[in-house]
Amino acid sequence: MKKIYVAFLLLVPMLAGGAVLAEVIADGDTAGRWFEDITQKAGVAVKHTNRSFKNEYSAIMEGYTALGASAAVADYDGDGFDDVYVTDSKVDGKNHLFHNNGDLTFTDVAEQASLANGNDAENASADALWFDFNNDGRPDLFVVRFGHNQLFENLGGGKFKDVTKASGIDRYLNSITAVAFDYDHDGYQDLFVGSYFQATSLFNPDTPRFFPESFETANNGGGVTVFHNNGNGAFSDVTEKVGLKTSGWVLDLGHADANNDGWDDLYVANDFGPDRFFVNNGNGTFREMTEKALGGLDTKKGMNSDWGDYDNDGFLDVFVTNITDDYMKEGNFLWHNNGDLTFTDLSRETGTYDTGWGWGGKFFDYDNDGWLDLYVVNGWVSAGKENYVPDIFAMVTRPNVDFADLRNWPPMGNKSLSGYEKKKLFHNEHGQVFKEDAARHGMDSVRDGRGIAVADFDNDGRLDLFVTNANSEPFLYHNIAPGGAHWVEFLLEGTKSNRMAVGAQVRVTSNGETHLSFVNGGNGFAAQSTQRVHFGLAKSSTIDRVEVRWPSGSKQVFEKLATDKIYTIREGGQKPGVLVAKANKK
Amino acid sequence: MRNQNNKGCHSERSEEPAFRPDRASNRFRLRVLAALFLACATLAPRAILPLAHAEDAVSALGNLEASLEKDPDNLRLGANYRQMVIQTNQYDRGLKFFEKLVAEHDGSSNAHLNYGFEYVDKIPVAGSITQVLLANNALAQFSKSIELRASWIAYYSRGNSYLFWPKIFGKTPMALADIEQAIKIQKADKKQAYHVRTYIALGDGYWKMDELDKATAAWKEGLAQFPDSQPLKARLAKQGDELKAVIDDFYDITKRIDTSLVELFPSQNGQGVAAK
Repeated sequence: MKKIYVAFLLLVPMLAGGAVLAEVIADGDTAGRWFEDITQKAGVAVKHTNRSFKNEYSAIMEGYTALGASAAVADYDGDGFDDVYVTDSKVDGKNHLFHNNGDLTFTDVAEQASLANGNDAENASADALWFDFNNDGRPDLFVVRFGHNQLFENLGGGKFKDVTKASGIDRYLNSITAVAFDYDHDGYQDLFVGSYFQATSLFNPDTPRFFPESFETANNGGGVTVFHNNGNGAFSDVTEKVGLKTSGWVLDLGHADANNDGWDDLYVANDFGPDRFFVNNGNGTFREMTEKALGGLDTKKGMNSDWGDYDNDGFLDVFVTNITDDYMKEGNFLWHNNGDLTFTDLSRETGTYDTGWGWGGKFFDYDNDGWLDLYVVNGWVSAGKENYVPDIFAMVTRPNVDFADLRNWPPMGNKSLSGYEKKKLFHNEHGQVFKEDAARHGMDSVRDGRGIAVADFDNDGRLDLFVTNANSEPFLYHNIAPGGAHWVEFLLEGTKSNRMAVGAQVRVTSNGETHLSFVNGGNGFAAQSTQRVHFGLAKSSTIDRVEVRWPSGSKQVFEKLATDKIYTIREGGQKPGVLVAKANKK
Repeated sequence: MRNQNNKGCHSERSEEPAFRPDRASNRFRLRVLAALFLACATLAPRAILPLAHAEDAVSALGNLEASLEKDPDNLRLGANYRQMVIQTNQYDRGLKFFEKLVAEHDGSSNAHLNYGFEYVDKIPVAGSITQVLLANNALAQFSKSIELRASWIAYYSRGNSYLFWPKIFGKTPMALADIEQAIKIQKADKKQAYHVRTYIALGDGYWKMDELDKATAAWKEGLAQFPDSQPLKARLAKQGDELKAVIDDFYDITKRIDTSLVELFPSQNGQGVAAK
């Protein structure tokens, strides 16, 4: 490896761009692998197990509830290292709070923190989200469940308190995802919860009619629930009031400011029917613009919604996974943002169309060349050799079948459905096309992937990945890409804005190019990535300008910053600080 | 699949038999419109003359329907009608019309054939599950057509349709059986340029059955008879993943299949379309 470094340093002045650099490095690297699977040695190899329901419909439900493997990243103890919360789903399965020891090892402290008990006979963990609901600077934890969601207040010192009932969010929902952003700019993060099934108890269903009524236009799902943060520890359901009353089969929510007007909009990825796009009116309400924005209503199986400016044109684009297999060729959406609240799907043109039965998909710049790359996990159920596809199509082609009645659905048993699919790592070739390179980097696992959490766990400026898998252990991929390309990270703190600064946009200009990113509040299926904003800067060794647009509406500009640092920026502060990281050893 | 044609631009395929997908191609649209104009000017002159406006096209549909009701077994008229349906995006109207037509003329083999094609025509604008239902319904109509008259076009159409189904559904052996029947019929008939299709399909069927030797033999036999066939040359020139890419692209259900049957009626657009 040292030899390669030297060659790299010698070559730097001769080369024109980061992408070329990357290729040269790759050719010289005998292993050629830029990610190392450190799951075992990091101490995070905990198996997820799908929930098995115990009711008269359990044999059928089994095939449609292979969900709940998730990971949520935040520095819960403020020691400068990102930690990760990981969910299990089996009835006695414990959730895990992996404290980052600062040396790429983790210690599960969930029991001590009172965060382990996310599963029981009437609740199954499905996802998790860190957000600072009380603006005390300590990320609190929301556990998304089929059942009753949980909200834990971070008390500091590694202790958490269950405040679910007091917060007013306690109700039965078959929730699968959540994001938290301050939609009305009152300085507090609000909670957006997406539910898959309608609010029929999956544990003791009182009707057999709670499956999707259609494969393409289903309108009997759980929809979106919006909880407004009242700023006093309590939340109010404002779903209808804000204009987000829907009944789709939500699998993911993604928020971002699509038109750079300072207000975050919302993309809702729905299974079994059309995705929805809602524009923030800036007055505490949203308006649906799906047909105009997306050119119609799709009939696909939306499963992921991640925003990122993959072509560096100053507008955030959206990546949505759907199902693509021999028997169902939906193709993903890579919604290129046209800048006028319309989008054009460029998945075919960019080579990101086919990722199998897609789940989580995350933009991230793994080689710091200044272009957002993309990792996508996939696979529904990898079981026996027999294929479930003919069974499901036998039902589909039966005349007048009532799909909503799950008794009409064939049990999956030990059959597979879009199983054993290889994950996809796409390298962004200057915003034009993506080149698939997962096998080279050892990231083409065939486990049933679900969520991807992106974070720089060792603060070295190279983004690592925590990948969750249904019914299996996760992967922690440590980024070991050869150094040389520059980078910068920002950890923002709101004062007038919500304290986690969710929704803040950062524009970094270096070497004549401006890159846009933002603080997101949980985008991407079954995972929450770091709250830091990361930029790859390729060969630029100085940053000419950093502009921060805060959700409060204020704007700050900093000039001439050094690269390769993690900065902290406080809203209204004079100048950025440098993150002090000192792990609290466990 | 979106309710309208997918908006992403897709490159045109390099090999292009006339029944193949040819989506969003202006060249194709112009060709079809020109053919329609010529055909309809002959077949239903009052219906087609002013094509400039949508209402005229819809009105033309009505006139073509009236003509088909009088002549339900007219394959060419039905094909022209379906092309007009595609241009006007009136798939449900087309399906409803053919449903009524075959109910009233149950013995008309070509009405069933056109009904089957109407289902096929709708596939590119349907959702992924609806596509399966449409494909299934098309097969039922093709079967009925064969039952009424065992024609080359009916056997070929059903056999070719089976080839679009993923392997997991086990329809490829049925495809081979139909294509063999079509070959039998064509061997007893005067050689036509479009007969090359059966050799392409037969080889593709064997390839899907992992019988590469038989596939190659079928393609070679076809090339011996149709030495200019680009699809056959392309298959025989490629191996492994490259060959798979050619065949996968050929049977990509997200792309429109050209069901204009223009090859069967070479005088329709003044020049015909030679099978390549």
